[in-house]
Formats: sequence, structure tokens, C-alpha cells
Amino acid sequence: MKIKITYPKVSPEKVKQQRLMNFMKWPLLIAAIICPIINLATGGKAWSLVVLMSIYMVWDLVISRDLVEYNRISQFVKLITLTGLLLTIIDVFLSPGWALEVVSILIFSGLIVTAVLFFTDLERQKQNIFPFLFLILLSIFSSIVGLSFYHEEDSWGLAVMGAVALFLLITLSITLKENILNELRKGFHTS
Amino acid sequence: MEEFNNYIKTLTEEEQTLLKDFFISFDEHCLLNKHTKEKLKEDFEKAILYYHKQGTELKDALSYLDVKNLGGFYARPPVLWFPLDDAAKIYPLSMAHDRMAMFRLSVYLKEDVVPEILQMALNFTIKRFSTFATTLKKGFFWHYLDITKRRFKIEVECDVPSQPIKVSRSGSQSFRVKYYKNRISVEFFHVLTDGTGGMAFLTSLTAEYLKLLGVKIPKNDSVLDINEEPSKEEYENAFKSVPDASNASGFIDKMAVQMDGKLSKVRPCKIIHFKMDSSDLKKASKKYNATITSYLLALMFVAGKSATDKLSGDISIQVPVNMRKYYPSKTLRNFSMYCGIRLELDKITSLEDIISEITKQLDEKASKEEMSKMVTSAKRMTSMLKFVPLSIKAPIARIVYGFLGDKIFSNTLSNLGVVKLPEELSNKIESMDFILGTAITNRAGCSVVTINNITTFSISKMTVDPTFEEKFYELLENDNINVTVEGSGLYEN
Repeated sequence: MKIKITYPKVSPEKVKQQRLMNFMKWPLLIAAIICPIINLATGGKAWSLVVLMSIYMVWDLVISRDLVEYNRISQFVKLITLTGLLLTIIDVFLSPGWALEVVSILIFSGLIVTAVLFFTDLERQKQNIFPFLFLILLSIFSSIVGLSFYHEEDSWGLAVMGAVALFLLITLSITLKENILNELRKGFHTS
Repeated sequence: MEEFNNYIKTLTEEEQTLLKDFFISFDEHCLLNKHTKEKLKEDFEKAILYYHKQGTELKDALSYLDVKNLGGFYARPPVLWFPLDDAAKIYPLSMAHDRMAMFRLSVYLKEDVVPEILQMALNFTIKRFSTFATTLKKGFFWHYLDITKRRFKIEVECDVPSQPIKVSRSGSQSFRVKYYKNRISVEFFHVLTDGTGGMAFLTSLTAEYLKLLGVKIPKNDSVLDINEEPSKEEYENAFKSVPDASNASGFIDKMAVQMDGKLSKVRPCKIIHFKMDSSDLKKASKKYNATITSYLLALMFVAGKSATDKLSGDISIQVPVNMRKYYPSKTLRNFSMYCGIRLELDKITSLEDIISEITKQLDEKASKEEMSKMVTSAKRMTSMLKFVPLSIKAPIARIVYGFLGDKIFSNTLSNLGVVKLPEELSNKIESMDFILGTAITNRAGCSVVTINNITTFSISKMTVDPTFEEKFYELLENDNINVTVEGSGLYEN
């Protein structure tokens, strides 16, 4: 069977991302298995949870990047959310008492940076508004829930987080008008 | 563009005014950002230069390139968005960095492709296919397609066919148009469309390309008019129009026997096209009292058996079924299901022995009733999962898909049938081919398309082992079918 070649000669380049994933998969997997075992064997505080969360963050943000919606807004929102979660884990399992203040500062700062990233490239980033809206709504919800149960001196962060989120929601509604409802419709569609 | 500026200097005053008016009109039709607008303008300039080099009068060139062909696509902000159809929902959930449900359609013209004109043809054609001018986005519960207004560019072919497309960036497209010598190819991510919708795009693009080269193609029903408004029906999720069957069928079956060749690292590692006379193929099928699909399936079973050393188990071939033949629809989105034709290894002896069983199974399993049951299952599944957040659905789907994958099938045969085009268009076309994208464990994926009495049977290989195609070729020769074999070299080192 003689084949007449009708395709150009190419030297296929393996997907770089896949190569990185294959290379990093095993060391991270081994670390994810060994750390909880050592932690259980030696006892003490649950530091391995912090390791597991950090490994997940490295995997998700750096190695196995998103296949859909990989843009500056979505990645920054993801970084903020995962960092907040990591700090909460450290607070709950290792050294308690500071996360509420720190995480709320992190989130309202994150909201401000996301707003800068969004409004400095509005035309293009309009299409990427959903993760931003999601973070805003989540912040408002967390702020309301947090302030309903917690009225201590260090709850100022929660109030600022809620206020910043609300301010951004109003700004977005004024700037994007009915588009914002459209984006919510798209983001939460179930059909 | 310096060359274009020099060209302008050679024009008469009257021609310069004509050109100036043309670009004023272009400005009105294009409200994209500055960079994209410049690129689009450059496309026009390159095309005008091409016409000039061919000796075409400027007036004629501008009439071919009439900016009216841009319609309002580039002038209006993006508004539309589309939820994924029921078949497309699984594709973004199951994809990986090196794996994506892709397929590719190509047309071979009688002359080499002119890239400047092909780019213009794409600039004009895309507006007619709104669901293709989209970016895949992630919602809270499901992915969706968000319309994106940009310049979609053509590429010269210099890569392995049907490689995954990066769909993650802002405004990324989910298809690519490539050209190589006399071939125009469009590679689609299945999330956009199926073979029928893909073929409508390719034929419309080709017709527009040829029109720009001066070929007169009369209005007809087989090619979409790119300046016509798309109808609502073309966007629809046609699965919704299929009435629910009383009982649904499942998607799970027992594992099938795979060919034994080692899976290649580069996938596909080779593309093979068997080009044959359709009448010869018909004659050979008639000899066995079978349809062309049954006959080709029989050849694939026998060739598949010779490509494995296993002694027991079933060979199962997936056959996509176009639902439009049961539920007529104009949709350009996915509207196909599939069935599996399954034979025990030790019952695969000769073509004569298996062909009637294949025909019987095909009649039963690809029937309207069975397909309706499958659609009902798909609809029930999507309805059941509709309120589960994507962040939960996606990893589960990836694990399940990674575990099951395509293991219940050994191979695939997708037959797009006979492509009918107006004579003025088909006269300019040599042949067409259709290639399936990569599989996970299947060592081959086969597809067929016929035009101008030439049937092209294509194999996307996922293993270097040549047994399957060699046996297939031998079987065709045994039935006196004259075959021309074309394809790629080996992509695997």
C-alpha cells in the first residue's frame, strides 16, 4: 500500500501544559500522601491540611491551568478565594484568632485589584465579568452573615468588605446597565 | 501597508476616490477595537492587491469585496449567547489539556488556495454562523457559548491535524480554518456543531471563496446564503424537539476489544485517506446485499480483528446517527446520537458471514425508537444535573470519562453521506475528506464522505501498527475497488 503524502511535514510539539503536568504530578502526589501519614504518625496539630491545600493551590493555579475561562479576572478571583481558604485553614487548625480580620482585608483588597483589572480593559473584560460578580456577591453574602453573628472590634474588615463589594456592584450596574443582568442570566443559566 | 500605499499612488484620481469611498463605507461597517479593525482593513488591502496582480479592474475588485458582505456583524456590540445543546454539554466537561473532541472537514479544490481571498471569505461568512463566532464560557451550572465580535483568522497548515484548540483565553474561538496547497480545512471543537453543521459551514465558506474568485454560483438550497439573516431554527437545541420515549436507554456497555498496537504519544499519529469511486463501492456493497455503511463496517470488523491478538471478547464500532433524518431540523448545532454495532471476535470470519448481522443490528440500533430512547436518557441526565454546580460536576465527569472513556468501543465509523452541491460549485471541487479527532484508547477512528462520485474513507490512527489499514486496503482490493491512498507521514518519532 503506497501512500501519497498530502500533508506538510511537521515536528509535533507536545502540549507544554501536559508535559508540565506529567512531570509535576508524581512529586506532588507523593507529598500529598506522605504528609498526612507523617502528621498522623507524629500527632500534634493538623499541619498536613495546610500542605494539602497549598499543593492543591499550586496544582490548580500553576500546573493544571483552567481549560475554559483562563483570563486575568478569573485567575485573580481564584487566587483570592483559594488564599482566603488557605488562611482560614491555618487559623482553624494551627494558630487561631486572626483569620476573620486578615481574610476580609485580603478579600476587599482583592476586590479593589480585580476592579482595576476589569475597568482598565473594560471592552474585553466585559466578557469575563461573571467571576468578578461571583466574588462581589459572595463578599456581600459573607459580610451580611458574618456581621449578623459577630460584632467584636475586629469585625471592621467584614464591614469594609461588604461596603466595597456593594460599591462595586453599584458601579458595575451603572457602567454596564442591563448587561449586568444579562451576565447573571448567562452565568446562572440551567438550560 | 507599504505595498498598498505604493499601489494607491499608481491609481487615477477617480480610482483613488472610489477606493477612499470604499474604506469610508468599511469604517461604518466596522466598529471593532483599533487593532482588530486595522487587521481587517489589511485583509481588504491584501485582497485588493491580489486582484490587481491578477489584472482585475479596481471597480470589479471592489464589487467582489463589497463591504455590505460584512453586514452588521462587526458594527454591532455582541449580544447573543447560547446555552450548550444536550450533546455538547459533555465535551467541555471531559476535555483535558491534550484531549479535546475535535473533527475536521476538508475540501480539495482544483487549484491552489489563495490565502488573501480565503481570509476575506471567512470575514464575510462568519456572520452567517453566529453560534460559531463564539467563545466557550463557564457559568455556575453549565458552560455556554458567548458571542465574540472579532476577526477570525485563517492559518497555513503546519501542525498535526485536529489538535486541541486553546479555548480558554478572552474571545478565543472554538474552530480553526486552515489551508494547504489546494485544500481548505476547518477543524471544529464538537461543542459548536456536528458533522452536518460543520459541512454547512465549509460549503458556505468554499462557495464564498469561489464567488470572490469570480465563480458564478446561483442561489440554491444546498449552500447557505451568507448575506441572509440566520433563522432562529439554526440556533436551536434540536434535542428539545424530540418527544420523550417511554423508557430511556443507557450509555454504558461492556468493554470492547481494542486493537493491540501501542498507543502513540502524538495523536493522531497518522492520517490515511482511501479515495475510491463511489460506483465501485456501491457495486461491491450490492454484491453482499448491503448498504455502503454496512459494507464498510464489515470491512472494519475484519480488519479490526486482524489488528488484535486477543481470542475472545467483542469488537464494537460506534456509529454516529444524524437525528435530522428522524426529526427534520435546520439546526447548525449538534443533533446526532450514536449506536454501537457489536460482534463477538470468534464470529468475525468472513464478510459474507457478518454482513447480514451488521445490517440487522444497524437497522435495530439506529432506529428512530432507539435513538429517541438515547435522547431521552441524555435529556434526563442533563435535567438531573442542572442544579449541580459546575465545580462539582466537572471533576466527577472527568473521573468517570477518564475511567470509561471510549473503552466500550473499539473503533468509530462516521458517515456524512453524499454531499450535494450546485454544479457550478462541485465543478471546482476535486474531493472532500472528514477526519475524526483523537481517541483515548481506540487505535483508530474512521469517517466517510462522498462528493463528485468520489468516496473518501479516512482513518485517524492512534497507533503506529499498520495492520488495520493494510488489511482494510487488501479487502477493498479483493472486491475490485480501485483505491488511491493519500495521507500524512508518521507524526510519531
